[in-house]
Amino acid sequence: MNLPPPDAGPADWEPIPAGVIDAAIAWAVKIEFNQPEPSLRAAFEAWLAAHPMHTAAWQRVQSLHTDFAALPTQLALDTLETAAAERGRNSLRRRRALKLLSLMSGTAALAWLGREQTPWQRLTADASTATGERRTLALADGTSVQLNTDSAVEVKLSGSQRLIVLTRGEILISTGTDAAAPARRPFWVDTPFGRLQALGTRFAVRLEPNAVQVSVDEGRVGLYPRAGGPGAIAAPEQSWRLSKAAAVRAAQPDFDPLAWADGVIVARHMRLADLLAELSRYRSGYLVCDTAIADLRVSGVYRTDDIDRTLEFLSRTAPVGVSYRTRFWITVYPADAPASRA
Amino acid sequence: MSTSDTVNPAVRDLYVAHHGWLQGWLSKKLGSTFDAADLAHDTFLRVMVKRRTEVQQGFAVPRAYLTTIAQGLVVEHWRRRSLERAWLEQLALLPEPEVPSPEIQMMLLQALIRIDTLLGELKPPIRKAFLWARLDGLTCPQIAERLGVSLATAERYIAAALRQCYDQRFNG
Repeated sequence: MNLPPPDAGPADWEPIPAGVIDAAIAWAVKIEFNQPEPSLRAAFEAWLAAHPMHTAAWQRVQSLHTDFAALPTQLALDTLETAAAERGRNSLRRRRALKLLSLMSGTAALAWLGREQTPWQRLTADASTATGERRTLALADGTSVQLNTDSAVEVKLSGSQRLIVLTRGEILISTGTDAAAPARRPFWVDTPFGRLQALGTRFAVRLEPNAVQVSVDEGRVGLYPRAGGPGAIAAPEQSWRLSKAAAVRAAQPDFDPLAWADGVIVARHMRLADLLAELSRYRSGYLVCDTAIADLRVSGVYRTDDIDRTLEFLSRTAPVGVSYRTRFWITVYPADAPASRA
Repeated sequence: MSTSDTVNPAVRDLYVAHHGWLQGWLSKKLGSTFDAADLAHDTFLRVMVKRRTEVQQGFAVPRAYLTTIAQGLVVEHWRRRSLERAWLEQLALLPEPEVPSPEIQMMLLQALIRIDTLLGELKPPIRKAFLWARLDGLTCPQIAERLGVSLATAERYIAAALRQCYDQRFNG
C-alpha cells in the first residue's frame, strides 16, 4: 500500500486509505471487543506507532464511539431496537403490497387504477377535446380511448356490453381484457354511419362528413352499416370506409392513420393541400393553400402540437412560403411568388 | 456552509422557480403542510452547501435534482419519526423517578438519532451485536454465544458495523 511520507498525518478532511481503516477496525475488534492477550496489545501498540496515518485512522474509529458513551444502556437499546423493528414491519408491508400488485396482470392492475382515478364508474360519461388538444381516457375495463383534436365520445359501460359513441372527430381505441367482469362483455363503437365491433384490438375511427374511416392496427374489427347492408371484417393494416349503405375497403391513405396518437402526421408522398387540410384540424382559423402548389407532393413527419412551428419547418423544407394575414388566416404560397398573391 | 450574506444567484433563481412546486410535492408525500414546509426549506439548505460543479449539473434538470435531495430528506424524516415514537414509548414504560428531565431527554434523543443514522440499514443481527457490544459492553465471545454464531462471525459483525459507521460519518 502506498502511504504518504511518515512525517505528515492526514488533515481532518483528508481521506484515509480504505485499507488503513480496515486495519484499524480489525484492531478495534481485537482490542476493544475482546479480552486481548498482552502480546496482542503489544503488537497493536507497534502498529499504532508505525505510521501517523495509523494513529489518525485509530482516532477516527474511536470517535465513532462518542455518542454511545453517555447513554442509559437499556433505554437506548430498547428504543433503537423498537424503531428498527417497526421500520422492518413497514417495509415488509410495502413489499407485500407491491408483490400483490405485480401478481395481478398488467391490464387488471390498469383497470384497478382506472377505477381509482377516473370518474368512469359512472356508467355513462361524455368526454371531448378542443382544437389542438389530445386526451386519453382509461376505462375501468382496461380499455384506453385516445381522443384526437376536436373530438367527442360518450362512454356507456353496462352489465352486458361496453359501448363508445363517437359523435365528433377521431379516436384510437386499445381494448382492455375486461378482466374484472364476470364474463367478457362485447365492445362496440357506435357512429352515425354504422356500428363497429372490436374483436380484441387496437384501431382508429375517424368521423368524416359522409362516412367513417376505420384503420386497424391489431386484431379485427367488425363493420355493420347503419342501413343494414352486408357487413365486413377489417384486418390489421387495412383501412375501410363505412357509409350508411356499405363497408368498402379503402386504399391506404397517404399518411399514417394512427400516428396522430403520437402527436405527428407521417406523410408519404402526400398532396400539400391534403397535408395542410390535416394540419388545419389542429389549429383554430383558416389555413389556405395556394392552388398553384396544391398538388405538390411532400413526405415527412410533421408535428401537430405547434402548427406555427410546423409551418415554419415546411417553409424551410419545401418550396413554399407562409404568410400570416392575421393570426387566424394563414396562406401557404409558392416560394417564388410574392406573398401578396394570397 | 457559506457565511456570506449573498446567496448564489443560481440557487436563488432555483428557489423562486421551484420552491412552491417542491413544497406541494413534499406535502403529498408527507401528508402535512408543516413538515413539507420544513423539508422544502432543508432541501434548499442542502443545495446551498453542495459543491458548485454538482449544483450546476443538477440545475440542468432542476426538478429531478431537487426531488432526489428531498427524497433523501423524506426517508430521514420517517426514520426520525419512528425513533421518536419508540423513544416516547420506552419513556412511558419507565417508573416515575427514573424519567430523565426534559433537557436530558432531548439530549439523549439527539444522541439516539445520531446513532440510528450511523447504523443505517445494517442487517438486524449485525445491528444487535453492535448495540450489545457498545451499550451493554458485551465482548465478541459473549455476543457469539448469545446469537448462537461462531466467534469469527461475531467479530465480522462488529467489524461490519464499525465500517458502516465510519462510512456514514467520514465518507457520507
